[in-house]
Amino acid sequence: MSGEHGELSTRTFVDVHAIQDELEQVRWGLHENGEFSEAAEHAAAEARASVLNLIAVVGSERQLTEVSHVLDALSVTNPSRTLILLAQHDRSAAKLEAEVSAQTRTESGHRVTTERVLLHAHGEVAAHLASLVDPLLIPDLPVVLWWPGRPDFDNPLFDDLCQLADRLVVDTDEGFETPDLQRLLEVARREHAGASIGDFNWARLIPWRHLAAQFFDMPGMLVHLAQIQGVAVYHGRDGSTAQARLLGGWIRGRMTTLGMEVPVELRLDDAHEHGVCRFLIYSRGQDGQARFSISHQPGGRLSAEVRVDEQDFVDRTVRLARRSAEELLAIELTLPGHDLLFEEALAASLR
Amino acid sequence: MAQAVTTPLTQNVLREGLILPRTPDPAVMVIFGASGDLTARKLMPALYNLALNRYLPSGFSVIGVADTALSEAEYKANMAEAVRKFSRTQPVDHAVWQSVADGLSYVRMPFDDADGYGRLAAELERMDRERGTNGNRVFYFATAPQFFPVIVERLGASGIARAGQGWKRVVIEKPFGHDLKSAQALNQAIHAVFTEQQVYRIDHYLGKETVQNVLVFRFANGIFEPIWNRRYVDHIQITVAEDIGIERRGKYYETAGALRDIFQNHLLQLLSIAAMEAPANFDADTVRDEKVKVLKSIHPIEVAKDVIRGQYGPGWVGGQQVPGYRQEQNVSPASTTETYVAARLRIDNWRWAETPFYLRTGKRLPSRASEIAIQFKNAPHLPFARTAIQDLAPNVLVMRIQPHEGASLKIAAKIPGPVMRLRTVNMDFFYGSSFLIESPDAYERLVLDCLLGDPTLFAREDEVERAWGLADTIEKSWGMQPAADFPNYAAGTWGPEAADALLERDGRRWRRP
Ligand SMILES: NC(=O)c1ccc[n+]([C@@H]2O[C@H](COP(=O)([O-])OP(=O)(O)OC[C@H]3O[C@@H](n4cnc5c(N)ncnc54)[C@H](OP(=O)(O)O)[C@@H]3O)[C@@H](O)[C@H]2O)c1
Repeated sequence: MSGEHGELSTRTFVDVHAIQDELEQVRWGLHENGEFSEAAEHAAAEARASVLNLIAVVGSERQLTEVSHVLDALSVTNPSRTLILLAQHDRSAAKLEAEVSAQTRTESGHRVTTERVLLHAHGEVAAHLASLVDPLLIPDLPVVLWWPGRPDFDNPLFDDLCQLADRLVVDTDEGFETPDLQRLLEVARREHAGASIGDFNWARLIPWRHLAAQFFDMPGMLVHLAQIQGVAVYHGRDGSTAQARLLGGWIRGRMTTLGMEVPVELRLDDAHEHGVCRFLIYSRGQDGQARFSISHQPGGRLSAEVRVDEQDFVDRTVRLARRSAEELLAIELTLPGHDLLFEEALAASLR
Repeated sequence: MAQAVTTPLTQNVLREGLILPRTPDPAVMVIFGASGDLTARKLMPALYNLALNRYLPSGFSVIGVADTALSEAEYKANMAEAVRKFSRTQPVDHAVWQSVADGLSYVRMPFDDADGYGRLAAELERMDRERGTNGNRVFYFATAPQFFPVIVERLGASGIARAGQGWKRVVIEKPFGHDLKSAQALNQAIHAVFTEQQVYRIDHYLGKETVQNVLVFRFANGIFEPIWNRRYVDHIQITVAEDIGIERRGKYYETAGALRDIFQNHLLQLLSIAAMEAPANFDADTVRDEKVKVLKSIHPIEVAKDVIRGQYGPGWVGGQQVPGYRQEQNVSPASTTETYVAARLRIDNWRWAETPFYLRTGKRLPSRASEIAIQFKNAPHLPFARTAIQDLAPNVLVMRIQPHEGASLKIAAKIPGPVMRLRTVNMDFFYGSSFLIESPDAYERLVLDCLLGDPTLFAREDEVERAWGLADTIEKSWGMQPAADFPNYAAGTWGPEAADALLERDGRRWRRP
């Protein structure tokens, strides 16, 4: 990455007004002594553009470092106000520290500034951090809440932040179980302004859904779709079954729109480590029997096969690109509104 | 040889073409309530900063009046301390402060003490003699409102209000009355001694740069005025949100409430400025005529339907746990005083027919913010098929007054890439940095305007009375039906649910300011 990367100032505060003042200072590139920096002169001529508020919630210093790296990479394409909440719900005395900084980058002549506030809370305040978040957001811009790891759903912080957010971004691969998926759906369906949900795990399923859909684009195959008997999703032994459930939920939800109830079977494949490893769609009817299968192959590939009436043919193989958290988040940040397909799949997976 | 001019000069012809601000005439400012909080926090720092920027005339003098026993030296020391603590510019320039302090004196007296006014008159005459202030006076009432009538009356009776030549002006702090009746009575008491032209009623919101900028924005930029009407504006939201509670003002607040404390003055002022027609010129009375017209065209309010009140309970604000209103000092545990008001108003004129104005103010809201937000209608036709346009919110123009003055415009922009995808971008303008000058405090502007004899940014009699009329209507309806559900919002939330319902009914939502 070209360009400069400057940290304008870093200080510690506990008072929300002081944080606001400091944010305003770094936003406009004012120096501490009230003098105007070069950045300020620039800002004066240009006005400042921002596209979103991003809130990231982490539970440990280690996670903080990882998340900071991801956010650094995103700041160029998403000039934003970023709040990182390090919420340590421990029994220690209530304590709150804040650090304000600005990252300024110059990318082919354009200057992009991202202000960042790190709020570090211990004890009781950690549960009430949302009361500090609201005043620090830029009005009028979407609020994206990124929660790496499995959220602590029962802590008031989760609900309070979801109230503020327009979009909640999670990775259900981080050990989400059925009740957790249920909570996600509740957030999306909340009566007053439910937040939309972004799920990295759902994004990882895109190639699987693509291949599955392509089966029925082949000449003569569509009839089998209307005769689906059931599907089986095989998953590895580690981690959560959320990905498998979502894939099953997806096909189930889609078929429901045609008035069909499709049984979904989740099966453990001991030989595989993580995530979905095989996806089978069975169909039988007056047009014969068919089995559509997609399998995860060594070396990060997906292969698709079709068997119609005892006749096999390999359809195709595609590379399964591993996307980084940074890429996945970047996609989530530009998606507007509710992903209705995801919500449909989530709801169907819980039926 | 030049011919002497025979008629007396009425204009300084040398001033023509000079854009430097006028310097006021030498004058004495008499501060009633000189040992109080307002004087220390706002007035003295404002005077010092005016001096620092060379806006004060030489000979400008201040006489502080209060009842605490203080020597002149002690008084000066207190004021020096106040300026050191509260001046917006730091550190304090010693020589400049000294020049202010040289013209500072202190008269101790109770406000109703006839003898005291004799001593005050003598002190004023001394100033005229020694400092050339020529009988020019500003009487600044920086004290509790119950003293306003007695001070006016004594100023009249003692002859101070009219003595000698020179102009006399009175500055009156808020609250100006408690309802329409008391405001009228106060106006009457004042007019027994001073004419309306001599009266300067403070609403410090009007002294804010942004408020003045709203006028400039609207009337000096050709591009906004044509869309500033019902055809293009969907609705307007005006917010004065405070995150603080009532601090130590429980006793006052119990008798005031949010309606009197903020709605009747600041909110209605902001409404007038946002909604007014272009004045023919920027004369004080022309501008104020237009503002009054707005208040006069407010459609009669159905209080039960269009006004919501609230009171905060305990909660969390800014990472801190705070008590509810009823647990505050000097507040009744069963108080029905409102700490929140929201109203939906309509203005019956061609420009705004059918365009709702939503006003709200409250204490212990999640953040402090005062702003006027103009919500424009959706673009009539969106040619960008399949771009999830429904999720793009319409354009909003926001004029922010507090805490950081500025303006922002929300627009839609394309995300770079081969696919047509749009996203919301906020363009932020910050007055401070556009001009690389720090904004003066509202009090500096207002004090200077008063010294210059420009009442544009002060509330006029009819304005104040109109605003009270409106507040009275609301108060009366509330009085008949005391709130039964208080507290109805938790500290740290955006007010009672009924306030959300007020907008939802119209298919709209409050902004997060
Ligand atoms: N404080 C603010 O930030 C603020 C903001 C906006 C508007 N205001 C308005 O400004 C006005 C003053 O407020 P404040 O907060 O400055 O009040 P304050 O701190 O209570 O000051 C009152 C002043 O009046 C003097 N005083 C009271 N009774 C007196 C008497 N009988 N004879 C002589 N002097 C007397 C006091 O002097 P002694 O104690 O020496 O007798 C003191 O100097 C009020 O109308 C208020 O609503 C204040």
